[in-house]
Amino acid sequence: MKRVLAAALLLAALPAPALLSTTAQNEKVAKISLKVGDAAPDFTLLSDQWKPVKLSDFKGKKNVLLAVYVLAFTGG
Amino acid sequence: MDSPAANAAFAKQINIKFPLLSDMNKKMLAAYGIVKGHDVQGDTYEWAQRANIVIDKNGIIQHIEEGDSAVNLTNALSVCTDLHKKQAAK
Repeated sequence: MKRVLAAALLLAALPAPALLSTTAQNEKVAKISLKVGDAAPDFTLLSDQWKPVKLSDFKGKKNVLLAVYVLAFTGG
Repeated sequence: MDSPAANAAFAKQINIKFPLLSDMNKKMLAAYGIVKGHDVQGDTYEWAQRANIVIDKNGIIQHIEEGDSAVNLTNALSVCTDLHKKQAAK
């Protein structure tokens, strides 16, 4: 168990390019399938207040900046 | 992909004023093609790429930035500022 933890810590400590090169063969990197000029697919997601938020609610009202920020509540 | 509860704690901690959304079932992430799969010891774990996407009032994508550089919001914010200026000029 300790060995597994040490390996995990090591991976976390590696800079991103090194991590990518060592795991590239096992990684399926999805490229964003959309491009500038495309209509943004609608979605409904739960806010931090547990309320549903729909992208289409903002249509005609506001510009939307989506920031996909993974592992925001961690040091990662 | 964090839960609403984790997001609420985070929002409180850093005192932000915009909604933090959760995509626990990864539906939106899949629709936008930003889920990334890692095979670790025979199991696949999925999480999202970091990405910034600007969508204008008409629902049209105006800016996409993905990967490590998307941690920095400068480009996305400047696109938003330009959009505001253009829309105000109309």
